[in-house]
This record gives sequence, structure tokens and C-alpha cells, in this order.
Amino acid sequence: MAQNRRPKSVIDSLGEEIVRIVTPVSICMFMVVVLVSILNTGSSSSASSFNSIATIAYNETTSDSFWEKFKGALFNSLIFVAAITLATFVLVLLFYLRCTYFLKLYMGFSSFLVLGFMGGEIALFFIGDFNIPIDSITFFVILFNFASVGVLAVFMSKMAIFVTQGYLVVIGVLVAYWFTLLPEWTTWVLLVALALYDLAAVLLPVGPLKILVELAISRDEDIPALVYEARPVTNHDSESRNGVVRRRVWRERSSVGNGSDDNLNSGTNSNLSLDSDSVVDSNLTCGTVNSIGSDHNDRILIGAEQGQVLEREAELSAPLIDHRTSDQLHRQENSASRENLLLEGIGLGSTGAIKLGLGDFIFYSVLVGRAAMYDFMTVYACYLAIIAGLGVTLMLLAFYQKALPALPVSIALGVLFYFLTRLLLEVFVVQCSLNLVMF
Amino acid sequence: MTVAAGIGYALLALGPSLSLFISVISKKPFLILTVLSSTLLWLMSLIVLAGVWRAFLPLKSNTWWPFAILILTSVSFQEGLRILFWKVYKRLEDMLDAFADRLAKPRLFLTDKMLIALAGGLGHGVAHAVFFCISLLTPAFGPATFFVDKCSQLPFFLVSAIIALAFVTIHTFSMVIAFSGYAEGNKVDQYFVPAVHLVAGMVTLVNFASGGLRGWHSSPLFHGNLNLVALWENGYEKIIRNQTVIHSR
Repeated sequence: MAQNRRPKSVIDSLGEEIVRIVTPVSICMFMVVVLVSILNTGSSSSASSFNSIATIAYNETTSDSFWEKFKGALFNSLIFVAAITLATFVLVLLFYLRCTYFLKLYMGFSSFLVLGFMGGEIALFFIGDFNIPIDSITFFVILFNFASVGVLAVFMSKMAIFVTQGYLVVIGVLVAYWFTLLPEWTTWVLLVALALYDLAAVLLPVGPLKILVELAISRDEDIPALVYEARPVTNHDSESRNGVVRRRVWRERSSVGNGSDDNLNSGTNSNLSLDSDSVVDSNLTCGTVNSIGSDHNDRILIGAEQGQVLEREAELSAPLIDHRTSDQLHRQENSASRENLLLEGIGLGSTGAIKLGLGDFIFYSVLVGRAAMYDFMTVYACYLAIIAGLGVTLMLLAFYQKALPALPVSIALGVLFYFLTRLLLEVFVVQCSLNLVMF
Repeated sequence: MTVAAGIGYALLALGPSLSLFISVISKKPFLILTVLSSTLLWLMSLIVLAGVWRAFLPLKSNTWWPFAILILTSVSFQEGLRILFWKVYKRLEDMLDAFADRLAKPRLFLTDKMLIALAGGLGHGVAHAVFFCISLLTPAFGPATFFVDKCSQLPFFLVSAIIALAFVTIHTFSMVIAFSGYAEGNKVDQYFVPAVHLVAGMVTLVNFASGGLRGWHSSPLFHGNLNLVALWENGYEKIIRNQTVIHSR
């Protein structure tokens, strides 16, 4: 044999960060599909008595005509988007007035509600459907513990990263399942309306999320939000680094909690511990090459000690910061009370890992869950479309290096593929495969 | 059919690709992305074909010649797409090589190129199995199972799963053979792939003949194995050649 140890090829680790985001999105979608197929087999497909702010204008019944359904769905979505816009502006106002602690508390509170009440309701569905023998006190204790650990995982930053990621995915699954209980037309029009809203709110200069991002950048603070951050990719090839890894980051980050300034000047080395349990808000000191105020991007950090160019991150994941926050969460009670679940769009965390807002998880899963209510062929098609949209968004992110909304491309592709599959593909494939004609 | 039988049929169609995925592809994230994108590409080609053929459906299931035309058009369209895939792959290879140069890493090895081709083929195969076989399984869970008149000895889903397995093999390895054929300009390889695809597709038309031509159901499997053998010889030769080149430096 020629060589004993082949040097690592370039495709060994390329695209790892993308896979680390695609995996939890896929898991979330898969769990929502499983929930939808298990829990909805018994009940009929007619609109349930699910009252929420999204059905406040019009409650769909199957006997209405096409135009009535469409108009009703449109009204519902407009009201919902208006409510979200209002809530986002309130959020921006609170952030502007530096009520960050209040926002974090509220975030924890809403996570507790999601995990406790929504999770509890779904658990009750399971218990009812499968006749699981459990008494109410045990159920309450388990649920309470589950929800409390979830709040701590989301709230505190020192939890193991796997637990935090798991709980974020669970929150996404629960909220997405509740959204799939909306009537069908309302769901589809709502998805499209939210994709358009996302586009407007992040890219238009008057959009609330753009204002929020710029506030956060100018103050060099982190927006308190529910954001999924992929585990940062460690550099396995570096041999003599003594546990020091270089990362390119977008901005200087002061550690949360104290107001101390960890900004380093250009040219200094940045030290990151390779502790893989560190999560977003842990003690990281990072240095960028330029200060934030100038809003300047630098793409490559040259290692001063060894004169090496940084690894693939230099080329692939350009520095970005985009945080968008939006509130999408509504409870099942008839009251029109709104929860503010703070979510962020797609961007780059302080360790260089990709961040994706929880709202994106939720609405991708809503789309796939709704497709699951029709047939699994649409599920496969929509899943591929959404992942493709996510990939396109990530590439645009690397290209444009600014705040980008993660919803529009994926939702557009997902809706397109859903209707194409339902109208065209299904007839074709079923015809062929029923006659065992395959190619 | 029962859930256990359903899982069995699904594993029958997708088992080898699952093991291939876990052992080879899941280790390199780039290959996972390649699988996903080639699956999407195959799905899009299928949607285009469905759009074109929508006006003529549903076809009467007694006559077989409309299906022959359908298979002919579909296979030629997909083989045309394979050439397009090859062109995109060439550009990707150049980008990856430039990237590797910039990072002072070695350029793409031969095995890397074959792995990328394998991942592309696997994407096509998995898409085929999922859309033609698995998507029929899930609505059919329940106490009974289905049989077809024309072949009453085997359950319908078993036949469908076996044929899907054959086509997964064909798709997976066709891509590797085709790419190596295009890379070296080997005409035999280049024409081998569409020929096998077409013949295998046409062979499935025998399902219209009644009386249970049981042997013919395994014919696509034969084509799949043919692909495998051709791939083995092809790949083995290339690797041996490559190593002698390295030795002789």
C-alpha cells in the first residue's frame, strides 16, 4: 500500500456547519410529522373548535365555498400578522428602553407556558388515545419538572449544550403542532403572509426587526431571544495549538451580565477554550478585527502566530449578524392574550456557529405537518424543498453578509412543491407504481 | 398490511442504501448535502415529467404501449439530466480544487470523486424508492394486504419493494459509472448507463402480462447486479492504476 495515513481531503469537513443546522431542523419536522400522524388518525379532518387569535375573524367549515374560505383565511392572516407586528414594535420599544431583564424573564415565562401547558395538553392526548395508566399527581410532578428544566435550559446559559438544543427543538415541536390544528386554508395563507412579513420586517428600513438588529449591534448586546445555535465546529486538524482555536466573529462581545468590556483591538490573538460544553453566553472573549461601529466586515482572520489562514470558515461562513425577533405564539385559551416568544432569524453566533431562530423551526414544521395531513408524498417533497430553501438562504447569507430572513425562500419553495406534488406528481406516480411500471 | 410488514418492505427497498448512508456518507457532511441535492434534483425531474404527462393521465391499465412511451420519455429525460449533473459536478470540482489550494490542502482524490458520484447516485436511488415504493406503503396500513391479479403469488408491496431495490442499485451505481465514463471519455461506459436504465425500465412493462411471469420480476435486480459488477471492475481498475502511478513517482 502506498501511504499509511492519507491526509485529510477537503471534503472531509466541508459543509459541517450546514449539516449541524439541517439535522435539528429535520428532527423537528420529523417529530411534528409523527405527532400529526399519530394524534390525528382518530379525529376527523374538519376544523376543530380551536379558538385562537388566528381564527378570530373566520372559522372555516368545510361547507363554505372557495372564495369564502379564501377571504376568511386572508382576514385571519392579516389580523395575525398585524398582531405580530404590533408585538414586535412593543419588543423593540422595550429593548430600546433597556428592559432586557424583563425580556429575559418573559422569555422564560413563555417557555414555561409552552412546555407546561402545550406539552401537557399533547401528553393528555397521548394518554387518552393510548390508555396509558398514569395518575394525575405523577403526571403533574413529571410535567412540572420537565417544564422547569426547560426554562432553566433556555434561560441560563451554563447548561449542557445538548440539553439546551433538545429543549429548543421540543419547544419548536410543541408550538408547531398547535399551529397545525388551525384550519387548512388559514394555515397556508398564514404561512405565506408570515413569509412576506418576515421579508418586509428584516429588509425594509422601517421594519421592526431591522431596527432591533441595528440597536443590538450599536449597543453590542445580545437580543434576549430563543435562538437555536448549532454546536460550534472545532478544528480537529490543528496540532500544536494548545487548545487555542481561532474563530472569526462578527462583533466584539461583552459577556452577559456584567458590563465589562472585552473588546480587543485588531491584531491581538483571540483565545477560545475548546470546551465543547460552552454555549452562547458563556465566558468567551473574542476579538474582531474592526469595531462594530464602523459596521465593517472582515472575512479572514490571519493567525498571527503561525501565519496560517483560517480554516474553511474563512470562505464559507462569512461574518454575519442578523437577529430578527418576532413573536409567534398563541395559547389555546379563548382570550386574545398574546405571548411574546422572542425569536431570531438566521445569523452567526459569537463562536462562529450558525444560529437559526426558533420561529423558523416552527413554521417549517407547520408546513410539513400540514403536508402530512394530506399524504406522505407531499411530506417528502416539502421536506426536500424546505431544506433546499434553507441551503439557499445560508448561501445568500454567506454572500450578502447582512441580516437575512430565513422564512421566505423555504416557505415559497415548500408551498410551491406542495401544490405541484398534490396536483401533478401524485397522479403520475400512483399511476405508474400501481401498475408496477417504474423507471 | 401490518406495521411490522410495512417496516419490512421499507427496509427491503431501502436497507442497502441505509447501510451505505450510515457507513460511508454520514461521515462526511459534504456527501450528505450531495445526497440531499441530488434527491431534490430527481424530484424536480419527476415533477416536470408529471407536468408534461398530466394531460394524458389516467392511462388505461390494460394497454401497455402508452406506458412504453412514458418510460421512454422519462428515461431519456433523466439521462439528459445526468449529463447536466455532470457539467455541474465539473464546475463544483474546479471550485473545490481551488478552495483546497487556498487552504493548502490536497486536491480531490480519486476516491473523493467517486464518493461524490456515489452520493449523487444514492440520492437518485433513495428518491426513486421513496416516491415509487414507500409512499404507497403508508396509506395502506391496516389488517389486510393487497394482491394484484396479474401476479397473485406475491403480495403487491413485496413486488414493488423488490423492484424498488433493484432500481436503487441501478441508480446508485450508474452515477459512478457514468461519471467515470465522462471523465475518461470512455464511450462504453457512457452508453452502458442509459442502456441499462432503459432496458430495466422496459422490463417492468412485463408486469402487464398476466399469468405471473415471476422470473421477470427479478430481472431489474439482474440489471442492478450488472451495474454493480461493472462498477467493481471499473473502480478497481482505476484504483489500481492510480496506485501504480503513485508508486512510480
